[in-house]
Amino acid sequence: MSLKEKVRSALYEVIDPELGINIVDLGLVYDVEIEESHVTITMTLTTPGCPMHDSITAGVEHRIQQIEDVQKVTVHLVWEPAWTPLNMSDQAKQMLGFG
Amino acid sequence: MKSSTDIKLPLGFILFGLIAFVIAQGILLYGYSFLESGQFRSPAIWSGAHFLLLGFAMMVAMGAMYQLVPVAFLTEIWSHKLGYIQLWITIIGITCFAILLGVAPQFAVYGAAVAIVGVLLFLFQMGCTILKQKQKNMMTYFVLAALTSLALTISAGLLLAWNLSAHAFSNHNQILSTHILFGLAGWFTLLIIGFSYKLVPMFSLSHGFSMKMAKKAFIAYICGLMLWTISVWIHHSVGQTIGWLLLLMGFFLFTLDILEILKKRIRKQLDKPLQFSLLAIGIALAVHTCAFLLSLFQVTDMMIWSWLIYVYVMAWIIFSILGYLYKIVPFLWWTHRFSDKIGKEKVPTMKEMVNEKRSVQLFILFVVSMIGILVAVWLQQVALLLLFQGLLFIGSVLYAASIIHVLRVKSS
Repeated sequence: MSLKEKVRSALYEVIDPELGINIVDLGLVYDVEIEESHVTITMTLTTPGCPMHDSITAGVEHRIQQIEDVQKVTVHLVWEPAWTPLNMSDQAKQMLGFG
Repeated sequence: MKSSTDIKLPLGFILFGLIAFVIAQGILLYGYSFLESGQFRSPAIWSGAHFLLLGFAMMVAMGAMYQLVPVAFLTEIWSHKLGYIQLWITIIGITCFAILLGVAPQFAVYGAAVAIVGVLLFLFQMGCTILKQKQKNMMTYFVLAALTSLALTISAGLLLAWNLSAHAFSNHNQILSTHILFGLAGWFTLLIIGFSYKLVPMFSLSHGFSMKMAKKAFIAYICGLMLWTISVWIHHSVGQTIGWLLLLMGFFLFTLDILEILKKRIRKQLDKPLQFSLLAIGIALAVHTCAFLLSLFQVTDMMIWSWLIYVYVMAWIIFSILGYLYKIVPFLWWTHRFSDKIGKEKVPTMKEMVNEKRSVQLFILFVVSMIGILVAVWLQQVALLLLFQGLLFIGSVLYAASIIHVLRVKSS
């Protein structure tokens, strides 16, 4: 498994505590970049001013730091493009009863 | 930017609020005979009402603001140290004031003065915090108007407390009307409306809604408050009726926005506590409609108006707060206990921290108790009133226990 695949897989374990769904299925992760042992994650949240702002981004950092071969993690929180429900996986939509 | 608050501060307000909620229902149980005879202007009812509205509703609202303002307005609390000073002064002031109202109303002004210092510190704190917000929005204006109403409410309240001891003014009823309207419709309603524009979309995961009625709702409600108050002071009944109509229109427009938010929600199955807060919005719309119709048909029976105010306080203000607290407290405790563990170990979701089945049972108990109290008063059945006020008291104890239970969650 490549480092990028390990990172993607690990991100499935970061759960939004309000919705109970992981951040990948929610469509919050926009990009994962790997430069040697430096992982950069570009992500968003469902709404600006989300009370979980600090917790979720810190959770991403903690989880990725646990991966062997990762020396440094940077999380870029962006609001453009804004999150839309279309970003969600079918599984997440089903869990929320949407669509 | 760090958008969170030290949780001890909001939690301090909320825990005192829960204690005051139980005390208030206990005092109302003790003074049930005054309720039955419609003697709302009696020391026991004054004491119970102020433990409920200041001790519970206002303290919880203050605590919620210490938590929500930083996340909703993206601005940090101006001074946490001032927050703790304000917490203790307000606790001492409200406790002394509510007790004195019950046992020695002529001295209540001294307790009121301490409580007012606490409220003024809160207004100063929030003013400094909110004015730092870079981009103001409709929510900001609702909250600022609510804070202004709170300032007017405590000014009128101080005059009332002073009048109880010094009998200095002859227009006691106008001051009382201003105090009640700005306290209930100005402070609490504008605040709940403002935060509902943030909380309902957040908890229902609504997307693509417009809030297109918010500005009109705000203008109509503020105009209604002002026109009604002026009309009371100049004894103009038509002005009062138009004031009620504007208040109804404002609340109706807000309800339309909430319906749109719910229509565009992604989370189809809403949490039960949120459903309870939404039920409160429906009840408040009905109460606003009743107030307008009573005014239109010139119904002046004080007993009817007093019970309408009771329904407004219990089924709108208190029910809204009871519902939202089931969301706010788990969030606070989760942030304190688990936010640095996310990504490191398995942590509970917020829904797992709450016994939702118990919350439904309690909400049903509150609704049944309130309806039972109204029926008992209508039928003039003292025993029935005692039974349902007793149930409400038991419900408030169980509710406080269920919220405190959230604080005992240590792991998933």
